Amino acid sequence: MSLIALLLIPLIGSALIMLVRSRVWFESVHTVAALVGLAAGLMTAARVWQGEVPTAIGGLLRADGLSALMVVVITLLGAIAALYGLGYIRTEYDDTRLSSVRSFFGLFHLFIFTMLLAVTTDNLGIMWVAIEGTTLATAFLVNLHDTPRSLEAAYKYLILSSVGIALAFIGTALLYYAGASRAGEIAVNWTSLKDAASSLNPQVVRLAFAFIVVGYGTKAGLAPMHTWLPDAHSEAPAPISALMSGVLLNVGLYALMRFKVVVDIAVGAHFAGRWLLGIGLLSLAVAAVFLIVPRNYKRMLAYSSVEHIGVICMGLGFGGYWGVLGALLHVINHALSKSLLFLLSGNILLKYQTTDIRRVRGLLRASPLTACAFAAGTFALLGLPPFGPFMSEFLIFRAGVENGSVWVVILGVALLAVIFAGMLGSVNRMLYGEPPEKMEPGDVLTWSLAPLVVNFALLLVLGLTFPDTIAAALEQALRVLGVSHA
Amino acid sequence: MASELFPKLITLLAFTTLGTAFLLIVGRDLAGQVRLLAAQSLTLAIAAAVVAAFTSSAELAGVAAVLGFLKVFVIPRVLNRAVTKIGLQPAALPYLGTPATLVVCGGLVTIAFYVMAPVAAANPLPTAEAIPIAFAGVFIGFFVMVNRRRALTQILGFLMLENSIFLLVLLTTYGVPFIVEMGVFLDVLVAVLIMEVFVYRIKENFDSIEVDRLGRLRG
Repeated sequence: MSLIALLLIPLIGSALIMLVRSRVWFESVHTVAALVGLAAGLMTAARVWQGEVPTAIGGLLRADGLSALMVVVITLLGAIAALYGLGYIRTEYDDTRLSSVRSFFGLFHLFIFTMLLAVTTDNLGIMWVAIEGTTLATAFLVNLHDTPRSLEAAYKYLILSSVGIALAFIGTALLYYAGASRAGEIAVNWTSLKDAASSLNPQVVRLAFAFIVVGYGTKAGLAPMHTWLPDAHSEAPAPISALMSGVLLNVGLYALMRFKVVVDIAVGAHFAGRWLLGIGLLSLAVAAVFLIVPRNYKRMLAYSSVEHIGVICMGLGFGGYWGVLGALLHVINHALSKSLLFLLSGNILLKYQTTDIRRVRGLLRASPLTACAFAAGTFALLGLPPFGPFMSEFLIFRAGVENGSVWVVILGVALLAVIFAGMLGSVNRMLYGEPPEKMEPGDVLTWSLAPLVVNFALLLVLGLTFPDTIAAALEQALRVLGVSHA
Repeated sequence: MASELFPKLITLLAFTTLGTAFLLIVGRDLAGQVRLLAAQSLTLAIAAAVVAAFTSSAELAGVAAVLGFLKVFVIPRVLNRAVTKIGLQPAALPYLGTPATLVVCGGLVTIAFYVMAPVAAANPLPTAEAIPIAFAGVFIGFFVMVNRRRALTQILGFLMLENSIFLLVLLTTYGVPFIVEMGVFLDVLVAVLIMEVFVYRIKENFDSIEVDRLGRLRG
């Protein structure tokens, strides 16, 4: 029951926003849907953490430990982006452009709905439909500003993502075929596929996983299928960029994780692990090239997402308890820090009216609050203590050393160092110097930044301590992924 | 008798869909290409209906009916509307000329047979023989998308790719469950409608539907 409620809240919210043409109405429905959605997400997760596995509609919907983790990330960051979005959209669009306002709020909740459906269904086909749905829900959002640049970004995003994950459908169908000959008609379900995994034809499974890596890897923004990502993430309005980079990429990874469990049982852990290590390292390398001297701060954040998704993939590739734990923690840490920075980039864009790093000068003087938060967020993102990403990256590379892949670790850390230098240098140039002459000092949207306190608090909690509740939640997700404490 | 005829009929239908894909490659005008897509979709619907009859599966018969309605009538109508609005113009504008294209596609078919032969051999279904043909269609759909400059032909390529995937799934597993298939159809329909809107906007903004003009986002 709670699963159905969880999915209905954003869906009804979206429908209600499409019905009426009043700004107050949009904003109230939007806020209520985001907050009630968060409550429903936390309640669902709480049930899972108490040991239940809620199901609905004859097992079509199902939430285990891994789903619960994703549901919390989606609804929490969804709520934070939603609250920031209220102020952002009010500044960006006046009452003469109500149709854009409505598209934003309506599609925002449709987007949340598709992501929640993807992580709470047991049916791998429905998961595919939902993930393609995320592309369709966000295509117009990427083009919300309706400039030639955003149009180009949205068109490329739509075509590349659709074609990319069409391949994932072939992979899904091949596994379904491999399973159907063993487990009968229901084999498109993840649970039944996992049960039948040890008897699947290894040759078919290997071929299927290749399609799945390329397919869902496109959606997760892994190199070399990442080319749509910097365009789409940099052209979308800030709250949408925050969700696309911080949360949506994780949904693509989530799909990869689900399939990896089946493939690991069918052909052994090394096969999928090697794929993920290779593609993760390649993503790091590609991101490093573009992050040596970035010119556009939103594109910089987008390439940084390619990097972090690569790091998460490496964690999964190294495998073992610490590798996978590090990967899951990094999913959370990256979501928290990246959404934080993308929301702040909205503030910078509203203030300077440009995304060009060279034209953003003296941020510390022009908008001190935004600047300090942006600097701290960058430190977190780059993996400096005392923030969470430091811990998760440390765990991932430690797993690599334990695993004997010392050279891979050295290469990874070297690439991280390049990225560190490039991004820190660029952010420094934005922070210091003289602001443009005519610019009035003062932050835009100060109160809209209030929800970001949650991001900072959680990043610190994950960096300094490791509360039992979070440990227990991660433990359940690890068990789903077939990893236990050795 | 029927069981002997069945795999042959399916192979014939699979070859027909591949043939329409080849015709799309050499085709020049947009309206004709939309008709080709409709023809391919019709072949596909017939193939699904044949498999449904052979396996007496009501679900699959339903899928065949929805496929026929959606891809033979609705989507070609949407695309025709776009063609009329944009105005008839030579559609092709490929990067490679026809002979080179045919060579590349021939190569792709060979690769498809090479990759898919083991899967087909391991598949016990009587339709297995045609699996590599369907897979070749996937490759060719891809190639159409990268070889054409016009946004609208890219959409046609996407739909052909999608058709080939449907055929591939039909041949390997007799189709995925009904609810999944319906979800996929819904996605494809919405995707085409959104793509259509983007084609209009690209036309307005760039005064052309050549994807080449889209080159502002770099680095």
